[in-house]
This record gives sequence, structure tokens and C-alpha cells, in this order.
Amino acid sequence: MGAHDVTPNRSVLLQLKSKIKLTQGGHKVLKMKRDGLIIEFFEVLEKAKQMRAGVSSDYESAMEKINIATTVKGEIAVKSAAYALKADPQVKLSSKSIMGMMVPKVEADRIHTKIIDKGYGVITTSSYIEEAAMAFEKLLDTIVRAAEVETTMKKLLDEIEKTKRRVNALEFKIIPELKESERFVKFSLEEMERENTTRLKHLKKE
Amino acid sequence: MFKRSVRKGNYAYTVTRVKAKKSHLLKEEDYDKMIQMSVPEISRYISEAGYQKEMTDLAGKFSGIALVEHATYQNMANVFKSILGASQGELAIMVAAYLEKWDIWNLKVILRGKSYGVDASGIKEDLVPAGKVDEASLDKLISLDSVDDVLNEYSKVGKVTFPADVISEYKETGNAGVIEDFLDKFHYQRLLDSISPYTQPTKIFLDYIRKEIDVVNLRTIMKLKGEGIYGEQVMKYYIPGGMQIDSKFAQVLANAETVAAASGDMSRLEVYEDYIKPVMDSDNVTNKAVVTSIKKYQEDQAKKMAHMYPLSVLPVIDFMVHKETEVRNIRIVARGVDGGLSRETIKGLLVI
Repeated sequence: MGAHDVTPNRSVLLQLKSKIKLTQGGHKVLKMKRDGLIIEFFEVLEKAKQMRAGVSSDYESAMEKINIATTVKGEIAVKSAAYALKADPQVKLSSKSIMGMMVPKVEADRIHTKIIDKGYGVITTSSYIEEAAMAFEKLLDTIVRAAEVETTMKKLLDEIEKTKRRVNALEFKIIPELKESERFVKFSLEEMERENTTRLKHLKKE
Repeated sequence: MFKRSVRKGNYAYTVTRVKAKKSHLLKEEDYDKMIQMSVPEISRYISEAGYQKEMTDLAGKFSGIALVEHATYQNMANVFKSILGASQGELAIMVAAYLEKWDIWNLKVILRGKSYGVDASGIKEDLVPAGKVDEASLDKLISLDSVDDVLNEYSKVGKVTFPADVISEYKETGNAGVIEDFLDKFHYQRLLDSISPYTQPTKIFLDYIRKEIDVVNLRTIMKLKGEGIYGEQVMKYYIPGGMQIDSKFAQVLANAETVAAASGDMSRLEVYEDYIKPVMDSDNVTNKAVVTSIKKYQEDQAKKMAHMYPLSVLPVIDFMVHKETEVRNIRIVARGVDGGLSRETIKGLLVI
């Protein structure tokens, strides 16, 4: 709708004034939200960096341990122990709010299984294999936690982008347009006022 | 199966065969050379060192590192079977009881494969038929559909009676670990029963097995301690018949909450002074380090009995221990080279 496509009367002017006030308030709040999200993003980014480093180091450690277990006990023994595993890792999904934005909360449940519940015998299973299994459990736990942080970071980025677009739309389009409409209505009302005064003067003369 | 026989074994014949085979085992310098080689070079080297037949037989099925692993296992199985086939009388009974661990290994592979849903050919590939159970019986076990059927069939083939509480615990929890632990305990019990300690060599063999049981018990206690499990729960995995660790002492060790807490009690053990103490005194005490040093003790024990009583069961067992070690070492070198482990790490893992 163009700035001049409004009916210039007092009621519209009042409506426009109230809209401008509301929009400016919204603009201020959205700007604060955007700044808050950016601060939050940098905090999450730091966490994500740490998590990525953690995933990377846990992966290296797990691969080294499985490599040593395969070297010492052989692929057959490692494969066989893996077949025996009865562990069923569970992931609990819930959500939490960051500045009104819902982000996932991922909790790893039952990732670490005690040796007695793994599904293979305790007596002869090699400690190399057990150590490799524990390293992979740790890696899985880190990956699950990293998934939460990474998803939060991506969601925050999307939300920042969205909020930024809204702030810009309000700042550079909606508020100027409303102000222009207000100016037009004011001008039109003044013009109508002058016309009326002139008309009344003419009527008085006659 | 392992009833005590009054028939004396054919020691002279079997020991002569075993000694001839032992002379072909790889030496320390062979491993030093192999560490410098690539996997194809290692394959060629071991082919020339007595593994030719198995390498050729399995070359169509496997390649690279998998070929080395399967061929060495197959070679070991063939060698052990020939020893078992050549031995007679009480010697055959002791050798069969000693090799039963490979039957149990195979049963574990079958049970794990079945529960995971691996097909018959996949399970068969991973078997090491080095025990008393022949390949036809193993094929039959693989062909059976359920774990229950496998256990029923194995109880006939291996002459094992699975206790009702073990079966019911397995059915209740679905954890095949209870069956595996029962089989390991059963193996040691039957092995102890198969040895009649009426001669000095068999007495030494019996002592060796009893020390091995001590080592297995100590390793289990350490492993569980690493997981924070101690006390009565540990005693479930205790194997009776050890030399120094009886059930009372095992209980004392099991009750200690950490490895460090058990250290004082462990000092009573023969293995402590030379093997565990140096690890405990080092800066970096880990359960694995303790378990590895205990393993070293076990291997040194085997070496000790090697030169005693040339015409007895001892040289036969000594050869089998060395053959297992050779297969393990070849695999360590080949896999270590393939996995890019440093030469120092590979050397550290070797048992020479």
C-alpha cells in the first residue's frame, strides 16, 4: 500500500500515530532481541568450537584404541565382540527457550554400558577391546552433545537472520512509510481545514 | 570325554613331532625384519616360513591383512589338530582339554553371530577350528536357527551341561555373557580335572594351569575394578582352582574399591613384586597397564616350563603356547604396519 493510499481523516491519523508508536516499540524490542541473539550466538559458537575439538580428539582416541585392539586381538575377535553387544543407546529429545526461540535439548541416555551388561563374557574379553568400546561410547556421548550445540547454533543463526530482516524492514520500509502516510494525512487535513475556512468566508460574503 | 585314563601317552613320538615344528617357529630377528616390511611383503615372508598352504587356500576368499589373519589362524588350527591327532592316551586327554578353549571361542563366535543375525558363511569365516570339535559339527552348529538349538547341540558335542540358572538368566536378560562366563569357568574346571598330578611333569602342568587361573581371576578383578564394580558382584566371575588366589583371598581383593587399595593385598602374590609393583610405582597407573603386566607374567611362566622334562606334556603345551604367540605376533606386526602404528608401539605389543 502506498503512503498516499489512505483516506485522510482524523481517525486514520490517530490510527497511524498509534501504529507508528507500536511499530517503533516493536522495532526497539526486535533490535534488542537481535543484539541478544548475537551475544548468545557467540557464546554458543565458543561452545561449538570446543565440542568440535572434543569430537575430533575423541574420534582420534577411539580410532587409535580400536586400531590397537584389532592389532592385538585381531579383527575376528573385535568383530565378534561387537556382534555380542546388547547395548541400546537412547537419546532424549526435549526443547528449551532462548529469547523466545525454541532450541533442541538432546540428552544422551544409557550410552555407557557396564562390562557386565555388554552382552559378552567378562572373564576372557580383552581389556584392549573393552577400552576401545569405552572410547567409542565416549565419542558417541560427545557427538550427541555436539549435535545439541550445533543445532542450537544453526537455529540461532536462522533466528538472527530473520530478526535482522524484520528490524531492517521496520527501520527502512514500514516506519518511513507510516511516517510518510502520517505526513500526508496531516498535510491533507490541514489542506481540508484551509479549504473549509475559505469556503466559510465565501458563504459569509454572500 | 576327559575321564582319567590309565593309558600312558605316546610322549616320545608326539614330543619329537612338536620339537620339529618348534624349530620352524619365527624368531625375534624375523619379527624385526617383518616390522620393516609392507603387508604384501609380510604375506610373502610368512608364506615362505610355513604358512604357504593356508595362504594359497584362502587367497581366493581374502586379501591383504584379512588373508594374513585368517591364514595364520587356519595354520594354527591345522597344527593343533595334527598334534591332537598324533597324541594318545593321557597326553591326548590333556591336549584336548587344553584346546577346548578354541571350541569355546568358536561357540562364542557362533552365538554372537546368531544373535546379531550374521549369515552362516559370515560366521564360518570367523571360526578357528583348532579344538576338539570337528568342522562337520561346527557346520551343524552354524546351520541351527536359534541360540537355544545351538546350546542344545553343543551340550551334546562338547559334553557340557548348561546349568538351569545360567540358561534362565540368559533368557531373562538376553545377555549371552552369562553363558560365555560359564563356559570359561567350565573349561578351566575340566582342564584341571583332566590333569592327573601323579608325575612331576603333570604336576608342573597342573601348577601352570592353576597359575593361569590366578592370572585370569586377577585380570577379571582388575577389569571390574576399573568399571567401579567390586565386592560380591565380582565373585560371580571367580574361577575356583587357582594356586594363590582362593575364594577367600579373591573376596579380599574384590572388596577393595580401587586398584591402589588392592595393592597391599596383592603384594602376597608371586606376580606382584616383579610385574605389578613396577606398574604401581610408575606415575601412570592404569588398569590396562596392570592387566598387561599380568599377561607378561603368564607368558614368562610358560617359558619357564619349556625346558623341563623333555618327554612329557610340557614341551607339547609349551609349543602350543609358542604357536599361539607366533600367530598373535604375526597379526600384531601385519595389523600394526597396516594401521600405521609406529615401530616402537608394534614392538611394545609383541610378545617375544
